[in-house]
Amino acid sequence: MSENESMYGTTLSQESIKVIAESIGVGNFPDEAAKDLAEDVSYRLKEIVQDAAKFMRHGKRQRMTAHDIDHALKIKNIEPTYGFIAKDHIPFRFASGGGRELHFVEEKEIDLNEIVATAGGQSWPKLPLEITLRAHWLCIDGVQPTIPENPPPVSKDAQKLESVDPTIKLSSKNQNIGIGKPGGGGKSQKLRNIETVHVKQLATHELSVEQQLYYKEITEACVGSDEARRAEALQSLSADPGLHEMLARMCTFIAEGVRVNVVQNHLALLIYLMRMVKALLDNPSLYLEKYLHELIPSVATCIVSRQLCMRPEVDNHWALRDFASRLMAQICKNFNTSTNNVQTRVTRMFSQALAKNYQTPLASLYGAIEGLCELGPEVIKALVVSKIKSISERIESCIEGQGLSSVDKNGAGHIKTLLVKSVAPVLKTIRSPPDYVDEYKQDYGYIGPALCAAVVKARTQPAALTTTATTTALTTNQQQGSNCTGKTLVQTVSSSNTGQQPGRTFMLGTSRNTTGSSATGGQKFVILQSRSQTPTISNINTTINTGSMQQQQQQQQTQTQTQQPQQQQQQQQQQVKLAQTNVAQQKTHVQSSTPKLVVVCMAASSHTNTSVTQV
Amino acid sequence: MDTDKNTMLAVLQLLKKYNFKGTEELFRKEANLTDISIDDSQQSDSDVTSVLSAYKSEGDPAQYEKAYSELKKFVEGALDIYKHELGTILYPVLVHMYLELVYNNHSQEAKQLMEKFSGNLEEYYQDDLKRLSNVTKREQMAGNELTDTFKSNQFIIRMSRDTLSILKRHLQEKKYSVLLNIIQEHLYFDMYEGVARNKQQIEATSGAMVGEATRQDNKVKVYYGLLKEPDIQMEPNKEEEDDKEGGTDGDKPKKKKAKKDPLFSKKTKSDPNAPAVGRMPLPNLKDADKMEKIKALREASKRVVLGPDTLPSICFYTMLNTVYTITAAEIAEDSSLLATGFSDSTIKVWSLIPQKLRLMKTGEPLQDINREAEDVLVRMMDERTSETTKNLYGHSGPIYSLSFSPDRNLLLSSSEDTTIRLWSLHTWTCVVCYKGHLFPVWCVRFSPHGYYFSSASNDKTARLWTTDSHQPLRIFSGHYSDVDVIQFHPNSNYVASGSSDMTVRLWDCVTGNQVRLMTGHKGPIFSLAFSTEGRFLASAGADHRVLVWDLAHGHLVAALSGHTANIHCLSFSRDGNILVSGSLDCTLKLWDFIKLAEEMSLEDVNVSHNPDVKTNSESYLLRTFPTKNTSVVTLHFSRRNLLLGIGMFEST
Repeated sequence: MSENESMYGTTLSQESIKVIAESIGVGNFPDEAAKDLAEDVSYRLKEIVQDAAKFMRHGKRQRMTAHDIDHALKIKNIEPTYGFIAKDHIPFRFASGGGRELHFVEEKEIDLNEIVATAGGQSWPKLPLEITLRAHWLCIDGVQPTIPENPPPVSKDAQKLESVDPTIKLSSKNQNIGIGKPGGGGKSQKLRNIETVHVKQLATHELSVEQQLYYKEITEACVGSDEARRAEALQSLSADPGLHEMLARMCTFIAEGVRVNVVQNHLALLIYLMRMVKALLDNPSLYLEKYLHELIPSVATCIVSRQLCMRPEVDNHWALRDFASRLMAQICKNFNTSTNNVQTRVTRMFSQALAKNYQTPLASLYGAIEGLCELGPEVIKALVVSKIKSISERIESCIEGQGLSSVDKNGAGHIKTLLVKSVAPVLKTIRSPPDYVDEYKQDYGYIGPALCAAVVKARTQPAALTTTATTTALTTNQQQGSNCTGKTLVQTVSSSNTGQQPGRTFMLGTSRNTTGSSATGGQKFVILQSRSQTPTISNINTTINTGSMQQQQQQQQTQTQTQQPQQQQQQQQQQVKLAQTNVAQQKTHVQSSTPKLVVVCMAASSHTNTSVTQV
Repeated sequence: MDTDKNTMLAVLQLLKKYNFKGTEELFRKEANLTDISIDDSQQSDSDVTSVLSAYKSEGDPAQYEKAYSELKKFVEGALDIYKHELGTILYPVLVHMYLELVYNNHSQEAKQLMEKFSGNLEEYYQDDLKRLSNVTKREQMAGNELTDTFKSNQFIIRMSRDTLSILKRHLQEKKYSVLLNIIQEHLYFDMYEGVARNKQQIEATSGAMVGEATRQDNKVKVYYGLLKEPDIQMEPNKEEEDDKEGGTDGDKPKKKKAKKDPLFSKKTKSDPNAPAVGRMPLPNLKDADKMEKIKALREASKRVVLGPDTLPSICFYTMLNTVYTITAAEIAEDSSLLATGFSDSTIKVWSLIPQKLRLMKTGEPLQDINREAEDVLVRMMDERTSETTKNLYGHSGPIYSLSFSPDRNLLLSSSEDTTIRLWSLHTWTCVVCYKGHLFPVWCVRFSPHGYYFSSASNDKTARLWTTDSHQPLRIFSGHYSDVDVIQFHPNSNYVASGSSDMTVRLWDCVTGNQVRLMTGHKGPIFSLAFSTEGRFLASAGADHRVLVWDLAHGHLVAALSGHTANIHCLSFSRDGNILVSGSLDCTLKLWDFIKLAEEMSLEDVNVSHNPDVKTNSESYLLRTFPTKNTSVVTLHFSRRNLLLGIGMFEST
């Protein structure tokens, strides 16, 4: 009925007419006239829109453009309102206030001088792309090939529906005839009679030979040693439309891989596997909910596991934890529903680790905090802030305490950095301005002063920067100027990475859909954004380098601060000893870590070069 | 005549009532009614008032609502067999009541009436009701297409004799003058003997702007058969062809005689339903045309026979960077050329084969060419100008339709600027600009035999033209709204037109008469396709359904639903086994036409007996092929039954 109400008698309001009258200089428009005019204008407008719809339909579109209105006016012998050209749909903005609601079209003022001044420059409007024609096989003898030009064989919505309600597959057999597998509609129609008798197999479990080959190639490339091949494999995982049939196997591969490699403490492989998860998550044609039971434990393992690498004191397993945490956050964001409660369950897991503060190893504690922090400011507010005090007691004991291993000290340092980084933006919103160090110290214990400093810093920054702070850790790191390591360098290294691959095509975001297919020959796509965030081994190595270097500086700072030179020296010696036992004979950390690069990563030599020069 | 008489009587009565003796006398004399006494006429008092109210405003607007709800109650309370047929009068009655109220300045009551009852009517009437309800003032009625149509035409309702008599009895009992008046004035009952139709049957054919087709509309015989293939002298042509083969390809001039023979023999049989050869004068075949025919036949012999188990391959051409600007696309019969029209009024022609598009040489070099040479056509062209695409500029509005001539030398385009242009694909210039339509031309089509072409326009007419005259030969007028699409019958004797008045009509090119009126669509029609053997017509459009009509009697035989957006293209495979439809919902669907035709041939069909409309789309749908966010604009089967599609990609 509501539709009917909107159908009949919708007219412009008298006020609108009056406003319009005012805008052309007619004040004091009488009510009666406004009413009559409103009715008539509404009728005329509707007529015009109906005619415009004809032009829209003949233009084979489903969206009306300003041109359609022009043409409709023209056939009514009315001068069109020239100049209102919009290529795209212009959304109405909504504003309310003073009891009035207003819809308007946002029009930016354009400074012509500016345009003239920058003629030929960057801001000069771009020429429209040339119209091109592209042919592909939509179907070969009744079978639709799964190529990027065709839609995925089973749409994401269908996968989603299926994971929620598996019986849908039985009832909608008919609909799948069209899209389904090779074999043709005729055959499956014939089969239907038989299938009504015994309905056992829901999922098809056999993979074609090509698919098996693909699976083999992809999994090998993903965990193999060739970084270029891995990039291609990951690209394929994150973009190819036809993967959903082997998704089950991929997930099993990942789960098994994580299980084995955690025991073996094989950091590199764990990172590769997490990158596979990331690629699968990013694939727009896959719906992973059915496989979360395998993925979530694997990812969680990589976040909170007690030990992820052979040498916790030097290897940067923190990056893996960070990366996996981001994955977990992505999973929660994408798949949390009221029925599966993924986010609740994940949060509970992490907060339990926090609750048993003193029993949890520092590395796991770090993971749990990071996992929570990635879930957003609300989660931090609710679950992390209250725990800060007890955590900082623990950290204090680790950092200040005597005779503890450097592993613990290192871990505690990381936790501190992490807390300062991610909690400060939240504290800024929940605490009111005068920030006193003492208050912070009282509320948050040992790391209070650091937090206080970070909050003060955050407050002084322009608003725009602080809002983005939570999403891009990069900016906050730099601005907080804290002793946080790594990330800035990850960024630089990966950008230098991109510079060193001249043969590749770099494309971003949406445009890839249109043009991506044009380069099928080489099949080399690198997506800048995603790459810069993924840890590669070489990245991690450089972070290790600089990490240790900064650590050194940090240590020096603490030396001067705490006046405990002996202990520091002890520690340093300890580290040197470790380094010696590893491979190298050099004394300084910077030099000692260079040969390690070769040992662990076997990345392209150019990478090592840059990282070294950067160090 | 009858209404005239009634009017006279009414006037007489009025004169008597006011005691105008002298005038009465005079009137009687003039009207030749001297022998009729007024007492006779007085018996039908309601008749008189009803006649009067047609001219005067009805006094009591409240009566309408009451009358309508009474009628509605009556319909709902009727026996089940009659109920649905009776229900068909509700919509026209409501429409006319509304219009009368509006006309007499009772806008408020009109609005009320509409709001109260429109929701109960069929879904497919809602669009028109919505448009109608915009009209709220008497002044607005003038010039409104819809109200004009309703006012000046009777709404046609088919009813069985029994149903009609029940309705009549009811009307006489109730005596609502408003109702009687409307039914008398604006409704036409096409009565038939037999059982009242059920809901499905009624729904299948209702929905058009002015009701259903009467039986009379579809009585004329339609020669839907194919013309006898012109006698191409086999032997000399074959030699010629061999020569040509030797000259151009030279690689495989063997083993095709045996293959081709059955094809020729099949074609020479004459069809009893075919029009006489000279019925429509067709252009004589030139040598080049004959050669082309032979080439086509040779291609056809290599054609894949399609069916449910052998589906076609589809090659899909995606237009990139054209979001919302491409408005028309057309592929030449031999699949060598593609023309696309854009909203910025340009036309682009693409070559789909390795051979590029070339310009004809200018006068002087042309004279140097040896006219007797084998490859004179090739020599005429200037190699230096070869390109894969060429642009044609000349229109000043979006191009809505394109059509290649059968010999591919000419291209027709129709545009929003109300003109049709003929382009030469040798000189790549505009040759003729046909100005005849006064409003945007939605569609233009070359006849399959060339020379003739037809156009459909926003001015509610379709026209038949020849390329050598700037004036149309025939103007087909009869549609009540825009003619959206037009299509030639394969034998060129007829054109079919589809319109926004939701009817499909078939016109005889020779006489210019409308020979078929087919109702059943619930929205504007955007696409038409004749089956290869010429008997069936498929139509589709804004109601997301494909309807198949039997031209022999104008019956609707099947309604295939499944699409979820406007359908803009239909095509039959070359062997007629598969019908394919492409839509803005980014899918194309293949329908099993063999099965449909087989099932149809089993039924006994004649003029009065409507066959059951087949609506179980599932059983005819062979496959659905989704495209990647690409709406399908044109579909075309190549001579070898490869399906080509054109679409525009919309990135999300």
